[in-house]
Amino acid sequence: MGKEIFYFLVFPGLIFSGVIGGILSWIDRKITARVQFRQGPPFFQPLYDFVKLLAKETIIPSRGSATTFVLAPVFALFGASISAVFILLPILGVETGFAGDLIVIIYLLNIPSLTFIIGALASGNPLAAVGASREMKLILSYEVPFLLVLISIIIKAGMTINLAEIIEYQAANGAFIGSLSGIIGFITIIMCIQAKLGLVPFDMAEGEGEICDGVIIESSGSILAMFKLTKYIMLFILPALITGLFMSGLSFVGINILWSILKIFAVLLLITLIRNTNPRVRIKQAMKFFWVWMNLFAIISIILAIFGL
Amino acid sequence: MIDFRLLIFMPMLVGFVLFILPESLKIIKGMITLIISAITLYYSFLVFSSDNGISVMPCSIYPPAGNFFALNIDGLSKLIVLFVGFFGFMYALYSLSYVTKEKRLISYYSYFLITLGASFGAALSDNMILFVFFWGLLGLTLYKLIKGYDEASSSAAKKTLVLIGASDSILILGIGLLFKLSGSYHMSEINLTTTSAWANGAFICLLIASFTKAGALPFHTWVPDYVEKAPASTSALLPASLDKLLGIYFLARIIINLFTLTSWATLMLLIVGGITIIAAVMMALVQHNFKKLLGYHAVSQVGYMITGLALGTPLGIAAGLFHMINNAIYKGGLFLTAGSVDKRTGKNDLSELGGLSKLMPITFFAALVFALSISGIPPFNGFYSKWMIYRGIIDFGSGSGIANQLWIVWLVLAVFGSALTLASFIKLISGIYLGRRNPEFEKVKEVSILMWLPQAILALACIVSGIFAATWVIPKLFNFGPLSSGLGDPGMWQSQPVSILILVSLVVGFLIFWMGNMKKHRRSDSFIGGEKLQDELNFSPLEFYKTIGSFKFLAFFYDKAKKKWFDIYHIGKGIILGLNSVFSICHTGILSSYIMWVVAGVAILLIILI
Repeated sequence: MGKEIFYFLVFPGLIFSGVIGGILSWIDRKITARVQFRQGPPFFQPLYDFVKLLAKETIIPSRGSATTFVLAPVFALFGASISAVFILLPILGVETGFAGDLIVIIYLLNIPSLTFIIGALASGNPLAAVGASREMKLILSYEVPFLLVLISIIIKAGMTINLAEIIEYQAANGAFIGSLSGIIGFITIIMCIQAKLGLVPFDMAEGEGEICDGVIIESSGSILAMFKLTKYIMLFILPALITGLFMSGLSFVGINILWSILKIFAVLLLITLIRNTNPRVRIKQAMKFFWVWMNLFAIISIILAIFGL
Repeated sequence: MIDFRLLIFMPMLVGFVLFILPESLKIIKGMITLIISAITLYYSFLVFSSDNGISVMPCSIYPPAGNFFALNIDGLSKLIVLFVGFFGFMYALYSLSYVTKEKRLISYYSYFLITLGASFGAALSDNMILFVFFWGLLGLTLYKLIKGYDEASSSAAKKTLVLIGASDSILILGIGLLFKLSGSYHMSEINLTTTSAWANGAFICLLIASFTKAGALPFHTWVPDYVEKAPASTSALLPASLDKLLGIYFLARIIINLFTLTSWATLMLLIVGGITIIAAVMMALVQHNFKKLLGYHAVSQVGYMITGLALGTPLGIAAGLFHMINNAIYKGGLFLTAGSVDKRTGKNDLSELGGLSKLMPITFFAALVFALSISGIPPFNGFYSKWMIYRGIIDFGSGSGIANQLWIVWLVLAVFGSALTLASFIKLISGIYLGRRNPEFEKVKEVSILMWLPQAILALACIVSGIFAATWVIPKLFNFGPLSSGLGDPGMWQSQPVSILILVSLVVGFLIFWMGNMKKHRRSDSFIGGEKLQDELNFSPLEFYKTIGSFKFLAFFYDKAKKKWFDIYHIGKGIILGLNSVFSICHTGILSSYIMWVVAGVAILLIILI
């Protein structure tokens, strides 16, 4: 039992992925600043943000449901940390996971979004409710293409639903991104990740300009701090999952360290550049985009995977 | 040796006795019902721990007659008996406070007890004529347990009776065919393959009966209408729990015992399962009445059970049965919470409710647990059984049949259905419990202990059966027949550590809040971008999924569903009324033409007979 708690709290769970996620979010902000010809924040800015938010006064909306509102960020953090454990253990090669863990991961990755929604609705704020409704519709949009890409990977890896076995298969037969179906799948999943992270062009749930941060409009102080930490963790584990699914995972032995860092960095760079070069779309456009185009891409990827391409 | 007759006939007899007591003694009737259901619960535990075997009632006057009363005690029926007993007790407890003041419900407790006894009978009987007797009785009590107080509720009751009754007659036809094919009325003695046309016919007849009872497409249409009008305890008892248990029990019997499925039968079952999941949940998404929303979910979840059972692998069957039990727990619980809200506020529409979480905290947390379970959020029980179904589907995909080749379709339908379920429950939870409170509900109070206790127990059951699924629940419940071996390792996802981690994260959350001076928090009104907060400024959860209806493709189906194009009752009614109008042409009202018809008929008869 002690082992699980260590996994969850320290490595690769809460603290480890929180710290790495913080660093990645600094990189993301630095690149964004460079794209916009700004200076960008100092290295410790994510940490400053977190600590400063803890010190700030927390305001709880008086008309909403206080208990649910306060518990939502706790469960968001739980969802992010537990997904970090299930994703990173096989990817870092610490433990092999279990049969069927990929499906568990899909579900665990939905928990943070879900708690954002419930927290927003518990605040009783109409703008938060608008954000929550958009977030839910976004989940409905990217769920199917995300699953379809995973199916194409399952087919490519010889019908295994075990993340560790998928990575092993790639180590033996070359990374999936080297194949045609892999490239198409990779494009699709990047879009899904973009939506999962709530980044432009799919940030309509938080739309700063129109609904004042939507789902987190009422969050302040410690509550906002925990939501931020959740987002840091998600910013690390989702790219890590992609490296596991398409680029034969990460490894921290010898020269592989450099490769691992480059892989994560490449995925992050892609996400950051997409978010800096696109406008926000409307929710209906996003739904259409995922339901029609991304599903089509994913299905093509599956068909190619069946033919072994 | 337990006397199984006691389990079946004691509740029924007491039910008949209760008809004599006047309605003004409702509370005493309720107490008697509670005591009887407690006794049957105890008995069902005894049955669950008894030995397997066929029990035949000895009959000294005419020995073969005893054969008619043959009960089959095996793993599957014991499982059903245990849960019928459990739910019977839970809902009797809830009814005690819920039904007592309902003036219009006549003889509720009598029918309740008859339902209980008949369910035990249907689950245990091995002789199919006995089975049909109990099965048909359930249809009747279902009809009597709804109060017909206006046009809509009577027509819902009528629709239910017609659909269930029609399916029962088809069941009798199917049993006749089975007897013709196998020469036996005993379920334990029959094993056919769906190859010949007759066998296929019998298979489809039995399937229709099972689907109608459980509420699968296209025979589901009575469920949403029924639960909208029926009292919540009835909805929880029959459509949500016992009908599911028995319908899926019969499906499992068909698949495990009566027939060996060929690949086309598997394919057909999977198509029905997949369409049921998606179509019903899409309908649930746009409902405004929360009871009706739950009714559509009661249909949608059947799709998962059918999918699981149709796979035919030990993992699939165990997954389907586990999902059946989980569904009965959380769906029954959801109906109870809906009943509590209805009782306290008198409202059934999501748009009129909101912000009840603070006023009804126990009901709210129970409803949240049920909603997360049905949406398949780990570590609740709904997640575990769905995960087993998904794994079953992927394993199934390695096979070579046409149904196996299409595994991606089944998987996507199941997973997407689950996401849609989550979406509609977000709407339900936010519409009733979260968001802004309507000022008229300021005086709403939590329901009495008799009502919240069953809710709390069922919520606890959701959590416990999710957490201990792998180590305790599944090995304990599913160790019979084909499931005793080859279940693989269903339990590599260990829920216990995850549950401990939830506690750990609560501690972590508390620490962060403590570090962050949470004590000094301030309560303040919502910020809506600098505008003044007004009462009418509210974003109704009903607006949530308007976007979905605005897609042309979906709008088409919603429009047609509104016009009842997919309602088999409506279609059947149309056909019969159409035939009526054709035949009514003959009814001219002129005596001489009637005499002519008679003479012509007699002449034709004579020609044929001679």
